Amino acid sequence: MKPDEPRRPDPDALLAEASKVGRGRLKVFLGMAPGVGKTYEMLAQAARRHKDGAAVLVGVVETHGRRETEALLEGQEVLARKLIEYKGRTLLEFDIDEALRRRATLLLVDEYAHSNAPGSRHPKRWQDVEELLSAGVNVWTTLNVQHLESLVDLVWKITGVRQRETVPDSALSRADDIELVDITPDELRQRLSEGKVYLPETAQMAATNFFKPENLTALRELALRRVAQTVDDQLLHAMRQRGVEGPWAAGERILVLVAPDNVATSLVRAGRRLSDMMMDAPWTVTYVERPNKPSPDAAGAAKTNSAFKLAEQLGGKTLVLTGDDLVGTLLEYARQNNVTQIVVGQSHRARWKALWGQALIPALAEQVKGAALHIITEEGQPDNEAPAKPAVRPTWTQWRGHLASIGLVGLAGGLAGLIDQFSRGANLAMIFLVSVLLSGLAFGLWPAVTAAAVAAFVYNFFFLEPRLSIAIGHASDVLTFVVFFGVAMTTGWLTGRVRDQSLGMSRRASAITALLAASRRLSASATREEAAQALAEQLAAATGGEAIVLLPGGDDVVPVAWAPAMKTMGAADLAAARWAWQHGEPAGAGTGTLPSAAWTYRPLQGVKARSGVAGFELKAVEGEDGERFVSALLDQGAVALERAEFAADAADAEALRRSDKLRSALLNSVSHDLRTPLATVLGSSTTLLEYEESLEKPVRRDLLTSIREEAERLNRYVGNLLDMTRLEGGGLNIRSDWVDVRDVLGAALERVSRRLAQRRVTRDYPPDLPLIKVDAALLEQALVNILENAIAYSPEDSVIELAAYEDRNNVVLSIEDEGRGIPTAELERVFERFRRMEESSDRGKGAGLGLAISKGFVEAMGGRIAAASPIHEGRGTRILISLRKEPAAANLAAANA
Amino acid sequence: MHKLRILVVDDEPQMHRFLGPALNAAGYEPIRADTGRQALAEIARRPPDAVVLDLGLPDIDGQEVLQKARAFFNGPIIILSARDREMEKIEALDGGADDYVEKPFRVGELLARLRVSMRRQAHQADAPPPVVHAGDLTIDIPRRLVTRAGEPVRLSPKEYELLVKLAEADGKVLTHKDLLVSLWGPAHAEDMQYLRVFIGQLRQKIEPDPSAPRLVLTQPGIGYRFMADDAARPGTG
Repeated sequence: MKPDEPRRPDPDALLAEASKVGRGRLKVFLGMAPGVGKTYEMLAQAARRHKDGAAVLVGVVETHGRRETEALLEGQEVLARKLIEYKGRTLLEFDIDEALRRRATLLLVDEYAHSNAPGSRHPKRWQDVEELLSAGVNVWTTLNVQHLESLVDLVWKITGVRQRETVPDSALSRADDIELVDITPDELRQRLSEGKVYLPETAQMAATNFFKPENLTALRELALRRVAQTVDDQLLHAMRQRGVEGPWAAGERILVLVAPDNVATSLVRAGRRLSDMMMDAPWTVTYVERPNKPSPDAAGAAKTNSAFKLAEQLGGKTLVLTGDDLVGTLLEYARQNNVTQIVVGQSHRARWKALWGQALIPALAEQVKGAALHIITEEGQPDNEAPAKPAVRPTWTQWRGHLASIGLVGLAGGLAGLIDQFSRGANLAMIFLVSVLLSGLAFGLWPAVTAAAVAAFVYNFFFLEPRLSIAIGHASDVLTFVVFFGVAMTTGWLTGRVRDQSLGMSRRASAITALLAASRRLSASATREEAAQALAEQLAAATGGEAIVLLPGGDDVVPVAWAPAMKTMGAADLAAARWAWQHGEPAGAGTGTLPSAAWTYRPLQGVKARSGVAGFELKAVEGEDGERFVSALLDQGAVALERAEFAADAADAEALRRSDKLRSALLNSVSHDLRTPLATVLGSSTTLLEYEESLEKPVRRDLLTSIREEAERLNRYVGNLLDMTRLEGGGLNIRSDWVDVRDVLGAALERVSRRLAQRRVTRDYPPDLPLIKVDAALLEQALVNILENAIAYSPEDSVIELAAYEDRNNVVLSIEDEGRGIPTAELERVFERFRRMEESSDRGKGAGLGLAISKGFVEAMGGRIAAASPIHEGRGTRILISLRKEPAAANLAAANA
Repeated sequence: MHKLRILVVDDEPQMHRFLGPALNAAGYEPIRADTGRQALAEIARRPPDAVVLDLGLPDIDGQEVLQKARAFFNGPIIILSARDREMEKIEALDGGADDYVEKPFRVGELLARLRVSMRRQAHQADAPPPVVHAGDLTIDIPRRLVTRAGEPVRLSPKEYELLVKLAEADGKVLTHKDLLVSLWGPAHAEDMQYLRVFIGQLRQKIEPDPSAPRLVLTQPGIGYRFMADDAARPGTG
């Protein structure tokens, strides 16, 4: 790049800026510890803003009864708190809905790291702030540095206090401004001793330790560094955005390897800190899945999962690699992606493994090339960090298995006793082994092990000399017992495992079958509503509980399908469903958002877009298999809904295409049928004007006739268009009166008489035809259109037959021509608009509107119209108009009137 | 001297009803064809001096008639077409039509276009005129000199090329693609904005009133034509 050439702005930086448009600005007052005066500073600045005329609203502020702070609140508007009842206690919480509604220019929300009371919309206040910012509200908030997620380990090491209320680093990075509220540690201790620092009771005890000068100095350094880093980031961002080449760490890439152990989350935090130090270098957290090793147990999986989740919260990428060779796989990826920093951990367990020659770190250190290796060790890490494992309480079924196994052994004992009576010295051990085997087959692994232990005891106690004692007399019996015990254990173990595995397999098979059935059911649904109903039913069947499916309607989601029965949703449930729809994340029971809802709501994420939300009872979903099954079901449901949507879209598109075709037929018709007569009129008149002198008189006369004829044709066409418009626009005004259809036929014939040319017209009317009540003008126009059609499509010397007759309650008019007729397949459609336009050979014979208008008029008068063709020797068309006679009474009344 | 024979191809009898007498009165011999097949047979039997061809024919599409006729007929073919069918016109012009007249039209306009086409045909038989006159504008091609009312007009090489290309076509519509390909090469066949800019500059220099051009005429959606003959200008009635 030439030095004078302007550098291109970084598109990512511009994009980030663009996504901020419409967002509120966030300012964070950052302090090293409680008591430095963050709230005071925030309120003081807000008061100045208020004086300048800004609409400042105090969303929530904790003054802790300090007079100086409370004085600052005077004259400012403070939002009322919301009452939340929780376990008999009434909590006062920040009212986010009201804050959103008020749309203040500036909103003050104290204590960024605060955890909301259960039942609030978000579990954490920073999430409230996030929503406010998205809604375009400017927010000021306060934060102590020790609450930052990535610093939790560090703060714990410094102060010995583990913070429970944390804010993800990304929530701070989003801040547009960070202001450090700083006093010296001595000053703070002074204030503490004067009782000016408010501490919640629970923190009182730790306070003396927490506020040690060396702790405060360390925390102060953390806070200062954090602010310096933010300033750095902002500078960097600004430079990137303007395309200025900056001093950022080009090419630094960090890879963090986690394993299902206790250091996983610490490693993630270390990765984030490293990234911070390297000017926000991209960092990835990875876990290597080894097909040749057993997959980690549930606890291990939970550890890697929470590490991944944390990484995402802290702004890192996550990635699962697969390979038998851990070191090779990791380094291969590192090489391909130019990783410069590798972070690995060493847990206590790993140190043990190292003794067995499975050392990861020496191998890595030996093979790594071109990257720095960071090793984080487990340092008496308290294990309570991991979410408390739900106590595994054996269910009744399991107890029953153990009891039944013991029963089986008892039975075997009884049988052995009996056999022992008759034949001493028989190999009784075999009978006990059978009971162990049966326990394994019937109840699985652990009951079988129980059975083996009990059998060994019973065998020893009752059948090995000395009997009724656990002591063993003969040396050979010791061997027998040991062998027996070993065989019983092995047998129990093996059969139990076989049984458990086959059970698991059949469970999986039945899950697959159920999924298959669900998928069949879902794919059979043609509409979104059907798909939603199918999904609700399958979900209810899978969870054994109730389920609901909501689909978008307007800008909200509305429940459309329930199973097994219709159910009304509570406010919390509706809110959770809406949240899941709007944010594309699970909400409701068991999730981080609106956990007070009764059910869990999951977005139905299709291939292209979100197609709805499904809700179900969480407690009914058991274990990982159940979870996986529900997820698969939801995925299938989402795809089925999406497909139904596509089908509907396709149908819409087809309808649109048809209406487009109609419109283009109309345009064609207008363009041709208006232009052709106009071309003749203009051409003939200009011919007359230019060559009047040199034209013979008959020629001149012919040209004039042609002008008149074409003007009339134009007039008819315009009339037709107007009629059509009236028909379609609903502007048809029917004025019915008693008429004799023979008169109307005569009038219609009169109007087309000039165009009849050589065609003969025959009339076949009965002498007495009842009067009918119709609009004579409309009927006449309908007949004229039919007659014109008959003329246009029949040879010049043919016959047109008119007839009228009574048929039960109707009067029928019939018009027949000797034209070429209409193909049977087309008969149905001759009354459609612009029908004619599809056959180019019919050009010039009208717009294809005539019969459509006839039909419209006849039907508007309550009559019916039909076409028949061919009628004589493969030729001719007959149009029948059938009009209802009024009831005789009405007829009579009219006659008397 | 025998009358020039003009073949009129249209399926509307009303069109023949006035075109026949008009052509007669103007001193031509009109020949009537109602279908595409009839027209092709007539051209093959005895080539007329010019053809007036309606595109909407009942049997064969007008474009096809044009294409088939061009295989053995070199004379002028003028298309009759509706105003809203730009694509149709471009296709016809690219397919070898000499000009088009929009329906409805004044008889005077059609006859003027016929005259221009037949004159151009005659010129092409010999050689293009070295000097073109249009109003007070003179284009002296051998001397590469353009003057307006005797005053030389300064044109850039591309402007000059464009003007000569248009003037040599003598009333024939040149499509955007024609002009772009011959002036800038096939790679620029779609770069309509080049043409707009240069036509605009050209008009500034040669038109008496550049806002109401009379020499270089825009055929919206189709192309441009250079029109020295006032009567043949597409009129407004």
